Amino acid sequence: MVRRMPAGPTRAVLATAVVGALALAGCSGGSGGSGSGGGEGKDRLVFGITADPTQTIPWLSTSTQSIQVLSQVYSTLLNSGDNLETVAGLADLPEVSEDGLTYTFKLKDGVKFANGSALDSTDVKYTFDTIMNPETKATSASYFASVASVDAPDPKTVVVKLKSPDASFTTALANVNTSIVPSDVPVESLTTTPVGSGPYVWDTRTPNQSITLKVNPDYYQGRPGYQSLQFRILGDEKAMVSALQSGAVDMAIFDNPVTAKTATSGKVKVTPVDQLSYHVLQLRADAPALKDVNVRLAIQCAIDRKQVLDTAALGAGEVTGPITSPAYKSNPDARPCPTRDVAKAKDYLAKAGKSGGVSINLITSQGLYSTAVNEAQNIQAQLKEAGIDVKLETLDSDGYVQRWLKGDFDSAIALNGGSTDPNTMYARYFTSKGSFNKVAGYRSDALDKLFADGIATRDENARKVIYTQVSKELEDNAVWIWTYTGKLFVATSTGTSGFKARTGADLGTLWKAAPAK
Amino acid sequence: MTALLSLWRNTFVRRVLEAALTLVGVSVLTFAVLRVLPGDQITASYGIEAGALSPDQLASLRAYYGIDRPLVAQYFSWLGGVLTGNLGVATQSQQDVLDMTLRALPITMELAVLSIVVALLLGVPGGLLAASRAGALRDNGSQLLSLLALSVPTFLVATALSSWLANRFGYNPNGEEFATLLRDPALNLQQMALPALTLGVSIAAPVFQTTRASVLAIRDEDYIRTARAKGVPPRRLQARHVLRNALIPVVTISGLQFGFLLGGAVVIEQIFSIPGIGRQVLLGMTQKEYAVVQSTVLVIAVLFVLVNLLTDVVYRLVDPQARAQ
Amino acid sequence: MSATTTAVGVPARAPRGGALRAALLRPAGVVGLLLGAVVLVLAVMGIFGLTPYDPAKQDVTQSLVGPSGQHWFGTDQFGRDVFSRVCSGLANSLRIAVVSVGISGVLGILIGVLAGYYGGWVDRVVGVLTNVLFAFPSLLLALALAATLDRSWVTVSIAIATVYLPIFARVARAPVLRLRHVDYVTASTAIGRPRLSTLFAHVVPNMWGILLVQVTLSLSWSILTEAALSFLGFGTPPPAASLGGMVYDAQTISAVAPWMLAFPGLAIVVFVVGLNLLGDALRSTLDPRSGGRR
Repeated sequence: MVRRMPAGPTRAVLATAVVGALALAGCSGGSGGSGSGGGEGKDRLVFGITADPTQTIPWLSTSTQSIQVLSQVYSTLLNSGDNLETVAGLADLPEVSEDGLTYTFKLKDGVKFANGSALDSTDVKYTFDTIMNPETKATSASYFASVASVDAPDPKTVVVKLKSPDASFTTALANVNTSIVPSDVPVESLTTTPVGSGPYVWDTRTPNQSITLKVNPDYYQGRPGYQSLQFRILGDEKAMVSALQSGAVDMAIFDNPVTAKTATSGKVKVTPVDQLSYHVLQLRADAPALKDVNVRLAIQCAIDRKQVLDTAALGAGEVTGPITSPAYKSNPDARPCPTRDVAKAKDYLAKAGKSGGVSINLITSQGLYSTAVNEAQNIQAQLKEAGIDVKLETLDSDGYVQRWLKGDFDSAIALNGGSTDPNTMYARYFTSKGSFNKVAGYRSDALDKLFADGIATRDENARKVIYTQVSKELEDNAVWIWTYTGKLFVATSTGTSGFKARTGADLGTLWKAAPAK
Repeated sequence: MTALLSLWRNTFVRRVLEAALTLVGVSVLTFAVLRVLPGDQITASYGIEAGALSPDQLASLRAYYGIDRPLVAQYFSWLGGVLTGNLGVATQSQQDVLDMTLRALPITMELAVLSIVVALLLGVPGGLLAASRAGALRDNGSQLLSLLALSVPTFLVATALSSWLANRFGYNPNGEEFATLLRDPALNLQQMALPALTLGVSIAAPVFQTTRASVLAIRDEDYIRTARAKGVPPRRLQARHVLRNALIPVVTISGLQFGFLLGGAVVIEQIFSIPGIGRQVLLGMTQKEYAVVQSTVLVIAVLFVLVNLLTDVVYRLVDPQARAQ
Repeated sequence: MSATTTAVGVPARAPRGGALRAALLRPAGVVGLLLGAVVLVLAVMGIFGLTPYDPAKQDVTQSLVGPSGQHWFGTDQFGRDVFSRVCSGLANSLRIAVVSVGISGVLGILIGVLAGYYGGWVDRVVGVLTNVLFAFPSLLLALALAATLDRSWVTVSIAIATVYLPIFARVARAPVLRLRHVDYVTASTAIGRPRLSTLFAHVVPNMWGILLVQVTLSLSWSILTEAALSFLGFGTPPPAASLGGMVYDAQTISAVAPWMLAFPGLAIVVFVVGLNLLGDALRSTLDPRSGGRR
């Protein structure tokens, strides 16, 4: 995955919620630069998004839309391949010392920023140092937690020293949040005019209407297929479908299978792709009602995950275990009660001394992503049959985020971001020092040790064994109830070709998109 | 003479004072509503990643957004800015709220004017027609139509209509970049057509009802009966007496509706991606852009007060009774 | 404050002798009563749980079944019976409409009448306060309230009530101002009746017509407002059925299951049309000018 998605309820994965997607402000922003032949000039690719990117500094960006736009303006030190493996980017894959503590990167020749200055090792050092500086308030600082120092011995070489081995470190460098920024441009001015070395160059922005980029003919991977690329903000998915049908928009990504189906036509091709992010019923073992592992196991057994998937997402997705990273994927059948077993759920309740039933609250959000409320309703109905009474609280997105961050809930419906590296996915939740451990509400010595071991070695096979253990630990204790991974639907007009949709629907290959012959 | 003058001045001063109080009230209400809403600028821009920030980072972010100061201080520093012409800055896009508002306002005004025009074109003739023979087929028929216009959730019809046009005919002006009236009038009017029609139809209903009701009521008034008895020709009677007086409430209700529309037709602006003032506020609310919401709502309130005053003036001009008071 | 003298002199063209009968003889009245009756029956079924299925009961083996003898309005993706949900949604909408219009009507009329009657500073304070609520974008006020308080149908009702309160206050105030100077009121005060008693004996009853118009309008508006709030994601929270919420949920899925959008949408229209027609008929009956005309 080009981006390591923030492992938490992702902000509006192209949320269907109308409220999330808004536009303001009037007329042109002096849009002289857009496609020469007016709107129909097909040297311009229009990509539809449903919300204005909130952030334009790579290390501060969390919204899907920000990441999409910035991935076209900036480049990262490493990239993701078609199977989400880490491959060379601005630099070749690093040489790693025997002890796993020193990473040496060689930068590609002749890469330039949009402002004409050469991209060299001082820029890389500057970027990483800035991210690690607490004053910067970078959310991506955690990716560099194990970094001791970054050095630039010569213009083409970057040397990163780690405090302790961290096998998940290189994954972070393919993340849009660690994109390289120029050291000679003040950060404040990057807020209004990003300067990067990506396939397209920031041109104009009309807030809440559009962001227009123009081609970067010197892009280091090759010449992008369009003269300009415009991200256009439309009200909601319905408006987006209409815009695709009328040809006003060339590409868009949906998370709703029905919307995807309505968008499909002779003029629009829709490609479903998998997602690393997972739908989950977060339980808080810290909450008094769920302290007893037997109660959690009862919930585990009372839920038919396929049913959740069918009712909430109309079957578009797969039942999942905790880890979704392709190389470390958990087996969804390796868990207590892989199929629903209400009798067993009642047994567990009896074991907990709660045969009379249990009552818990469940928070869900309307507005963060389209399936949340439906998942909650189905889970509520399923648990009821096992004697577990669920008090459903539907919150607006900010209310939900606030309650979630405070850990003020027994259980929560969440869509959490996945990653190609399982440590990135879960260390923040399930290690006792993790920044979201309070939210996750569960910790154990066993897990602490497993996660520590997991990043201490770079040996793939050894890591696979460790993360299978992690998975087992999480499922056997019914820490959370993992339900399913959904699909994303990449809609592309038949007038454009070359883009390769891959897991997570990142825009890493968007630069290859060109008018169809 | 002097007494009259002082009385006028008195009324005038009172009016201005009331308007000012209204605006203060609106600004306090907006301010309070924003602080009571769950979440703040930090959770709005970082989402759940706010949880990954250290306490130091959080503190410095609060200082950056100016939400670390006491509420009263926050309010007055914002108000002070507004009084000196500084409406504040949107923290995320670094845009001046004044600029944003100056761009969004003409768009909303255009939409409001077009909608009112549609409403008057449908409502007034309809009302006159219905009143011309109360109880007749045309009366019942047009009443039924207006009932339907009142009863159908217009936003549903609007979405259905626009997606049908797009799917069937590939016609979808609102999918294009928004064009202002000055830049591309042809495209602009196409983009405004459906939203204005949708809003216009729903406003036409009260306009229709009011027209019909007041024509009927006025025809019963003594002076009309007297005029009729005196043999004033029906046409002249209709034009000079009935119409003129019947339209007074229509003016009032149109003014009121216009005032509401200036507040931004949030749902319609949302559905049709019209970058008007309503969306600016709604967006500000979801992004917790306090300055944007506070200043924009204040601007809306100022307009509302102005429209009210204007309606009043027009009302006084057409209604001799009110003028006399 | 000029505003809303508009409704003064509302039609009331019923011929002498039994306005209700007259109203019922008109096709609109008949249709309105019929629609109203249908809606009321369905809503009552919803309130007392007399629906063919439990509206919250899920049965995934029956998901997304089209309208049939078993499920008249089809089922949703959870296999819930849409007809039963429409019934309970109607009940919910009716409840919200009545409560919100009740709150805003009673408070608004009281405030408006007192302001109009006492005039002076009372009037001015009320004027400023209603203006504040007027000038504040109404849907945003409702959104803010719905987002702040714990979400339930009560919150939604309060939010809608807040929006309509100033309208009632204004509508009630205007005629009081006018009636205050009408001869019989002046006379009544002159012969020594206390002012408040005069107010309620003469002024208030004379306003029924106007207020009824406002009540019927507000009832139907509040149903549409609830739908609009739901459309923006701030309506009655699930799993409780609400017409607006059902429409909101069905928006995307309607491409494969049009009945999920059609029936709740139709229910809203029928409900509001029925209410308006019924209001028309009622208005003709109760309007003192039509009843008492010689």
